[in-house]
Amino acid sequence: MIAKEKEDVRLKLAVTANELKKSRETLEKKVLERTKNLERITARNEAMLASVGDGLVVVDKEGKITYINKSFEETLGLKVQEVIGRSMVKVVPREDQSGTEVQFKERILTQVLLGKKFVADLTNPFYYIRKDKSRFPVSSIITPVVLDGKIIGAVETFRDITKEKDIDKAKSEFVSLASHQLRTPLSTINWYTEMLLAEDVGKIMPEQKKYLDEVYRGTQRMTELVNALLNISSIELGTFVVDPEPTDIIKLAQGEIEEQKLQIDAKRIKFSSSFKKDIPVILADPKLLHMVMQNLLTNVVKYTPEGGKVTLEIVLSDDQGRTTLPSKIKRSHVLIKVSDTGYGIPKNQQDKIFTKLFRADNVRDKDTEGTGLGLYIVKSIIEHSGGKIWFESPGDAPVGGKDLALEGNPGTTFYATLPLNSVKKSVERGSVSDKKEAAKTND
Amino acid sequence: MKTQKIILVVEDEKSLREAIVDILRRKNYNPLEAKNGREGVEIALSKHPDLILLDLIMPEMDGMTALKKIRQDVWGAKVPIIILTNLSMNNKQLADDMAKHKPIFYLIKSDWKIHDVVDKVAKILEETNSL
Repeated sequence: MIAKEKEDVRLKLAVTANELKKSRETLEKKVLERTKNLERITARNEAMLASVGDGLVVVDKEGKITYINKSFEETLGLKVQEVIGRSMVKVVPREDQSGTEVQFKERILTQVLLGKKFVADLTNPFYYIRKDKSRFPVSSIITPVVLDGKIIGAVETFRDITKEKDIDKAKSEFVSLASHQLRTPLSTINWYTEMLLAEDVGKIMPEQKKYLDEVYRGTQRMTELVNALLNISSIELGTFVVDPEPTDIIKLAQGEIEEQKLQIDAKRIKFSSSFKKDIPVILADPKLLHMVMQNLLTNVVKYTPEGGKVTLEIVLSDDQGRTTLPSKIKRSHVLIKVSDTGYGIPKNQQDKIFTKLFRADNVRDKDTEGTGLGLYIVKSIIEHSGGKIWFESPGDAPVGGKDLALEGNPGTTFYATLPLNSVKKSVERGSVSDKKEAAKTND
Repeated sequence: MKTQKIILVVEDEKSLREAIVDILRRKNYNPLEAKNGREGVEIALSKHPDLILLDLIMPEMDGMTALKKIRQDVWGAKVPIIILTNLSMNNKQLADDMAKHKPIFYLIKSDWKIHDVVDKVAKILEETNSL
C-alpha cells in the first residue's frame, strides 16, 4: 500500500516535471522571440530617428546629450562621439542676428527643462554655430519629455533655414522696390490735385471741390499704405536707419495729439493726457518715436466708438514697466500707456495682435481702413530700441448687442517701454534725416 | 525790381517735372529743366542756378552721382540743393553720402505737398539772400 502510494507520487512528479520542462522550453522560445522583436523595433526606431531630415537631439534633464541623429552631425559638423554626455547649450552656441550669444539662462532648452512656457518669436532670427565656427539661421522646436508628470529631458528638432531666409529677403526687396515705384504716380496725383484744390489754375465749383477732396483722400491713404509697406520691408531687410538724438518725448506726444485732434473731436472722444514732470529728454530717434506714437494714437481713436474715453500717460519706470518702485531702484525707462474704452481685442486672437497684416475679427467689419501693419511696425521699432510692448484687454464686447451701452465695451490698454538711453543698433550721428525734419547742414 | 531767381529742376518723370516747373513759374521764379543727372550737371555748371531740386533715381546719371559732381565744382560746392525723391533713406550708404555732400533737405515726394516744397524753396532763397 505504501509502495503503491509512493509509486503514484513518483509518477505524478514525473508528469509535473515533464510539464515544467515543456513550459520552460516554450517560455525560452517566447523570450527569444520577443527579444528579437524588441531588437527589431529598437533598430527600426533608431533607423527612423537617425534618418529624420531635421537635426534631432535628445537631452536628459540636465540638458546633456543622450542621442543625436545623422542630420545633426551633418548640419553642425559634429560627430556623435564628440557630443554624447555633453551639454547641448555648450556644444551648440546660439546667437542673435548681431552675433551676441544667447546666455545659458536664456536658452529655450534651459527654459523648457525648467518647465517654463515658451513663445517663439519669429521676427528675430537666431543662428546656430557649427563646429567650424560658421553660422546658419535656424528654426527649432524644443519639447519637454514628460514621464509620470515629471520632465525627464527634452527633444529638439532644428533646421537650417538659409534658403527660406533668402526667399524672404527677395520678397522684402521686391516690396521695397515696388513701393518706391508706386510713389511716383502717387506723387503725380497728389501734386496736381493739390494745385487744383488750391485753385492755382482757376476757380473750382463746390461740387468739383468735393470730388477732388475724395480723390485726394484716396491718394493720401494709398501714400500711407505704401509708406507702411516700405517701413516693413526695411525692418525685415534690417536696413532701418536708427538715428538717435536727444528727444523731448512729451513735446512729441503733444504734437501727435494735436495731429489727431480733428479725429478725436469728430468722434466726441474724451481725451485726457498726463505726463509726469520728471521725464527727462531721452535719446531716441524722433522719426521712429513719431511712428510709434502716431500708430498707438490712431489705433485708439479708430477703435473707440463715439463718445468714448482715451487716456495717454507717460511716466518713468524700470525695464519691466513697473512704476511703483522703491526709490533706490533705477528708473531706466519711460512707460507710454494708452488706454481706451474701445472694442477690445478678442481673447482668442490676442496672441496674434502684433502679427503682420493681422486684424482682429471684431474690428474688421467696424472699420475698413486698417492695414494690419501698424502694431507690427510699432513692436519692431520698440524692440529695436531695447523696449517692450504689451497690452491688457479683457476680451471683446459681446456679439449681437445692438444698443450696446458704452460700458459694454471692454477697452484696451497698451503699454510700451523705451530706455532713456537707447543706443542699441544705432548708426553714428550726423546723417540727414528722412522726412519732415531735415538736418541743418549749412556751411 | 528784383531779378528772377533761377531754379534748376532735375527730374526724369515728365509729369512731376512739369508740375514743379509750372508752379515755380506761377510763383515768379525762372525754372530750368533737366531730364537726368548728366543734363542736370551740365546746366548747373553752365547756368549757375540759385537753387537745385534734384531727384535721385534717374536714367543716364543718377542724382547721387550728379550731386557729387556738382559738389566738386568751386561754385557747386556751395549751391543750395534739395533732394526731392521717392527713395527712402533706408540704407547706411545713402545716409553717409547725404551727410557728406550736404543737401539742405531730403524730401520724399509722395509725403510732401507741392506747395510746401515751394515754400521751402522760397525760405532757403530768402536765407541765402540775406547772407
